[in-house]
Amino acid sequence: MVGNDIVDIELAKRQSDWQRPRYLDKIFNLQEQQLIYASNEPTIMVWKLWSMKEAAYKLYTQVCPSRFYNPKAFTCNLKNGETVRYKSFLCETNTKTTIHYILSEARLKNKLTTSKVINLENISHMNQGKTFEKEALKLFATERKYLEKNLKYAKTPFGVPLIYYKSKKYNISISHHGKFGAIAIA
Amino acid sequence: MNKDELIAKLKPIIAPYVQDEEAFKNLTEDTDFVNDLKINSANLVDIILDIEDEFNIRLENEDMEQMLNVRSAMAIVTSKLNS
Repeated sequence: MVGNDIVDIELAKRQSDWQRPRYLDKIFNLQEQQLIYASNEPTIMVWKLWSMKEAAYKLYTQVCPSRFYNPKAFTCNLKNGETVRYKSFLCETNTKTTIHYILSEARLKNKLTTSKVINLENISHMNQGKTFEKEALKLFATERKYLEKNLKYAKTPFGVPLIYYKSKKYNISISHHGKFGAIAIA
Repeated sequence: MNKDELIAKLKPIIAPYVQDEEAFKNLTEDTDFVNDLKINSANLVDIILDIEDEFNIRLENEDMEQMLNVRSAMAIVTSKLNS
């Protein structure tokens, strides 16, 4: 099981004004807001914490299939690595920040995850789903050394992507924002 | 305010964040903000803030939890206006 989230930094700056009144307070607790205000790059910190919460939410909903919207209840901690807590659920995250995107992966303790970022700039909306499917199967086949023809891509009723290998199934995670797509497998 | 009046008030609030215009044209109570309108999840917060401003109400985190479709947004606004 794995959760991921990618933020296209340039698009996030255009799409969301985190400085509008009450915005931060809806998503971030006081400790998180302190991290944002203490940061040299507050905008990057906003989207880093956001992507950690989103990735953790996606992992949580694989563990407990459900759907809801409560980003504030997922609390980030940046001491001793990255962790996110939701009620009694705790996971690790790993966040990579480049000048173009922020990518978070959420995983259960001591599990390894692999991510791939894909550029969707020149792919039409209609073909994006197919591109994710193709790239996910390719990544899974390469990482697990399985033949691609033995793999099948599907989604759960909650929209979580899955890969079947013979009778076994593996949850994966996909994320899309602006120019970027990301696939994570565990 | 009846249901049609409420939907008519909600539509211009939702409009700026919609990524699937076709789904927006056919908006009903069952329309899902994320799955149908393809609204970015960070923009759901903007919709919530805009709803608060428009109706002069405040939504708690528990109210936000189910704010995933038009029907639940209507139910939350109605309950706040009546409380």
